[in-house]
Amino acid sequence: MPETTPVIHGPVAPAPPVGVLAGWAVSRRRSGAALTLSDHSLLAKAAVKAPWQGALADVLAVPFAGTLRRTAASTELLLTQPGPGEWLVLAPPGEQTALVTWLERCAADVDELVSVLDVTHGLCLVRLTGAAAPDLLAKECALDLSERRCPDRTALRTAVSRVAADIIRDDRDGNRSYLLACERSSGQYLFDSLLDAGAEYGVEVTGFEPPGVTEQTARAD
Amino acid sequence: MILLPCPWCGPRDADEFGYAGEIRPRPDPSTTTPAEWRGYLYLRRNTAGWTRERWFHRMGCRRYLVLERDTTNNDVRPSTDASSGSGS
Amino acid sequence: MSMRLGPRVGEVIDRDEPLSFTWNGRTYPGYAGDTIASALAACGVRVFSRSFKYHRPRGLLTASHLDPGCMVQVDDEPNVRGAHRRVRPGMDVRSQDTWPTLSFDVKAANELARRMLPAGFYYKTFMSPGWLWPAYERVLERFAHGGVVGPGKVSALDGNERYDKRHAHPDVLVAGGGPAGMAAAVTAARSGCSVMLVEEELELGGHLRWGDDVDLTALSELRGRVAATPGIEVLTDAVVLGRYDGNEISVLQRGLPHVAERLVKARARTLVAAPGLIERPYVFAGNDVPGVMLSTAVRRLVNLHAVKPGDRAVVLTANADGDATALDLERAGVEVTRVDARRGGDVTRALGRGRVRAVELGDGRRVECDLLVTATGWTSAVSLLTMAGDQPRYDDTAARFRPDASRLPSDVMATGGVVGDGSCAQLVAHGEATGREAARRSAQSSVTASAAPPPLPVEPHPALFRGRTHGMVDFSEDVSSKDLFTAVEEGFRCPELAKRYTTATMGPAQGKLESVNVVAIIAEATGAAIAETGTTTWRPPYAPVSLGALAGRLREPTRLSPLASWHHSHGAAPLVAGAWIRPDHYGDPVAEAASVRDGVGIIDVTPIGKIDLRGPDVSRLLNLVYVNKWSKLEVGRVRYGVMCGEDGVVIDDGVTGRLAEDRYLMSTTSSGAVTVWEWLESWLQTERPQWRVHATPVTTSYASINVAGPRSRDLLARVVDDVDVAPEAFPYMHVRTGRLAGVPGCVVWRIGFTGELSFELHVPAGYGLHVWERLLEAGRDLGVRPFGVEAQRILRLEKGHLIVGQDTDATTKAYGAALDGLVKLDKDDFVGRPELSWGGQPGDGQRLVGLRMSPDSLVPAEGSQLLDHRGLICGRVTSSRLSPALGRAVCLAQVEAALAEPGRQVTVRLVDGGTARAAVTEQLAQVDPEGVRLRA
Repeated sequence: MPETTPVIHGPVAPAPPVGVLAGWAVSRRRSGAALTLSDHSLLAKAAVKAPWQGALADVLAVPFAGTLRRTAASTELLLTQPGPGEWLVLAPPGEQTALVTWLERCAADVDELVSVLDVTHGLCLVRLTGAAAPDLLAKECALDLSERRCPDRTALRTAVSRVAADIIRDDRDGNRSYLLACERSSGQYLFDSLLDAGAEYGVEVTGFEPPGVTEQTARAD
Repeated sequence: MILLPCPWCGPRDADEFGYAGEIRPRPDPSTTTPAEWRGYLYLRRNTAGWTRERWFHRMGCRRYLVLERDTTNNDVRPSTDASSGSGS
Repeated sequence: MSMRLGPRVGEVIDRDEPLSFTWNGRTYPGYAGDTIASALAACGVRVFSRSFKYHRPRGLLTASHLDPGCMVQVDDEPNVRGAHRRVRPGMDVRSQDTWPTLSFDVKAANELARRMLPAGFYYKTFMSPGWLWPAYERVLERFAHGGVVGPGKVSALDGNERYDKRHAHPDVLVAGGGPAGMAAAVTAARSGCSVMLVEEELELGGHLRWGDDVDLTALSELRGRVAATPGIEVLTDAVVLGRYDGNEISVLQRGLPHVAERLVKARARTLVAAPGLIERPYVFAGNDVPGVMLSTAVRRLVNLHAVKPGDRAVVLTANADGDATALDLERAGVEVTRVDARRGGDVTRALGRGRVRAVELGDGRRVECDLLVTATGWTSAVSLLTMAGDQPRYDDTAARFRPDASRLPSDVMATGGVVGDGSCAQLVAHGEATGREAARRSAQSSVTASAAPPPLPVEPHPALFRGRTHGMVDFSEDVSSKDLFTAVEEGFRCPELAKRYTTATMGPAQGKLESVNVVAIIAEATGAAIAETGTTTWRPPYAPVSLGALAGRLREPTRLSPLASWHHSHGAAPLVAGAWIRPDHYGDPVAEAASVRDGVGIIDVTPIGKIDLRGPDVSRLLNLVYVNKWSKLEVGRVRYGVMCGEDGVVIDDGVTGRLAEDRYLMSTTSSGAVTVWEWLESWLQTERPQWRVHATPVTTSYASINVAGPRSRDLLARVVDDVDVAPEAFPYMHVRTGRLAGVPGCVVWRIGFTGELSFELHVPAGYGLHVWERLLEAGRDLGVRPFGVEAQRILRLEKGHLIVGQDTDATTKAYGAALDGLVKLDKDDFVGRPELSWGGQPGDGQRLVGLRMSPDSLVPAEGSQLLDHRGLICGRVTSSRLSPALGRAVCLAQVEAALAEPGRQVTVRLVDGGTARAAVTEQLAQVDPEGVRLRA
């Protein structure tokens, strides 16, 4: 039976107007607010497990609790290691096959147990950008996210709005910015919680805009 | 809320962790006796003072940790990952 | 009658901004910067409330946030501290718990019955007979103090206002914004620390605010330093409620835009307590008559709010502050009679009822006046320090308890008046030294050597607690010194007991004003020294806190499947299952179940736990955690497994499929998804760290859809792209991976929880809606319909499939769940094996059975008890439904093993009190026990 290309739905209902980007239903809303929240779940995502400080850790070269940008598989990646021997690797929308293939090739070169899972569909990923972002997060998260304890390029895992989430500090053009990742089914709840907590700071929803996590422009539809 | 020292994540609120109880050696199931096994299952030392406990860092590194805690005042000593051999 | 004075140097009112508000329905003027109490006092109002027990008229005592006499109702907010809350234009302020009016209060008749309301009144009176308690309750309610939440008025909270919480991580938290606290904050911040400076009052400054010109100069200089120092976050109108383990400090912040109240949970490296001193009332007859005030109350009214508290005053002074108060009053045009307690002067009685008319002095003189001011001593505000382990010691010289710094943990320090006396400069110097040391302890300073602040001097003060007459001790609870003497006579000689017996220190002031007087009077009554009498215990919260602030924003994680929006828009009745919101049914669960038996239905089973297992040792792990055998599972097969705990109790079940040589997908119950994964990790991380297995939860990577019914294969065939679903190509208990409806990376296993031919599709979550809609569209002519959890429960019950946690409980071992055939004791080791090999033999405990009811259409409630022939409880119904397929009830039950034989009769005790008969069935399955349908 012939199939039209199915639309992919992320964990967060997109704020209207809605369009399609790299196969995903996305919000086309554009906000110029000083504090914005944006659904980035369409980014390609892979979860990697390998021995702590093993051979694959050397290959990926991102420190524990840190992040690293690098180009591989002819795309720009954001690598993070929020858990010991646990990596979350992000790539532009639509690049999950290239991402997983590259990671599996890295895994094939080392003699240790490595698992590479495509979690593009399994995680909710949002980006919170603006100077007030740490103030908002201070309502939802017990951790000290000050410049001293959580500088740019920090990746850690903790409870946000009582949900386990990776917090990845990833500033954009000198603007405070955090990527938050949680398992998919809690994504809408987390998104709503952040909006609720951020009302005091005038947080607004803005649609995903390439480049999402990397400097490379995502493929437009 | 008390802070627990996670060897991976640093000090974190105790509600990020699950408490897995005081550490006790698991008898060899193939040779154990009912009395010994049920002691393992149900009896706890419940010490007033320093104890060795297992905690699971559910909201963080997702590792089982060995933690020494003084049950009289919640003082804690630096913890280790349970898989590093100090577990049982 | 206006009592407003001309402009004062330190006044906080803005005379350019007049406003009006109402008090008990009448309009009053005020200025911006006035508190409710100061605005009313400026208009000559003297009575603000009625006392708790005797409904005596009460005026201002402290004119501060601690004032027990002016708790008021503001709009829909009860128990507002009227001497703290700033008045706003249009505010509707009312007195609380007075009827019919404040000036004529019927319950003041209680006063006449005073001898009938003795110490321990409640314990003595409302005791027996017990059956009268409902009546007592109604009586007590009428006595109860307090306003009304939302008495019919629109909420004062605007749309954005919420109770709120936030976390903070200051290096140094300074509790108290007086001179020492401000100095400590500035010094700590200049040493590189992040500082949170918390002040309960509306502005920084402490006692300097109502002081003389020298004080005001120091105040403005200190405030300037705070404002100019980066790294200090100032919270005013914020009170430290408590100090907890790990130096967690809870702070309640008010007066913020958009926020009703905010609880700040601050994790401080070092806490500097600078709470200062609280002026102590003096106990004598008539000490609660309106017009009897503390010296600090007078100085606040005169110097901050430009209010003349009376025209003729008697000032009983034992210290410099009392002397200064007399001067302030004279400058305000009040006629003052000084009574110097340092030279033996005393007050024995205040006369008057609604207001002071005269005062009797210790020398027998009687002085006509309308204001009596007492300055008889101070109480150290030690409560925050005692929460950190301090045990204050009574200091005879200062006539107050003082903290014992040696008992404080290294992350808690104290400065300012709570520590000792001294000039403003001395307090500031002590604060600075403390701030420096706090910074060092917070490891943010380059200064490394420990430098304990030099001690502050302690000035001698006469010990004045109770005079020659009996008077009020606890103004909040209406407890007099006579009540305390009575309590001691009756044997309650220890403050902790006398407190509970008399309720002294248990009112809204929580002992801040009265606890030392309570101790001193108990000491007097017992003949013991104050030092050996000891104090009562300080516990959080330091100040009353609303439940809304403690609750904060509601954060209850909610989990949604990728199909949630479809369910919602198609009329699904929501079912809350743990954190998940699932469709219970779409209007007609019986028809939904029937469509599965007759044709085909689809159900969203996304919450089913899914764990990705990889590595060479997965089969060893499966052999360990499941009671059955797993080493020979071929690629492409799935198997049902049951997990037990170390005690042999069933903890979870599900199927696990082998997708590739060293890759498996495990499924768990929906509620067990998280615990099973943690269970696997606990074995892999603690007992078997040498095993090479990666277990990753992937529950929500997939949308999971069960396609069930005799036509399910026909339907699936229409949407698969590269999976052969023919019976011989895809037999029962097999797994295939492939592309469905254009979606790659899907996992399909053929299993049958419903008892019908069925396929469980696991689709990458973002495509879930697409596949779901394709199934409905492709199966329209097959009559496909979605079914919910209720239909699934009916179907599985007809088939006799158990649900762990419903048909088993925390004591049900594998045999009790009728899983004997699954337990493989010939395996070397598996979790639960020792217990299952000894104690859990068939015949022990209870056992899961099917029940056939008589009459057979009667559906007993789940949980109904089962009785044996002697009428003794022998089990319970665990699941029950009316079976659409059979037209009768189908039940599972736990019953004593001896009765768990086909045909045995039991009695079911029904919810309505009646009984019914039931017989144990041949098998658990009532529909298709041979399993022909699911193997079709």
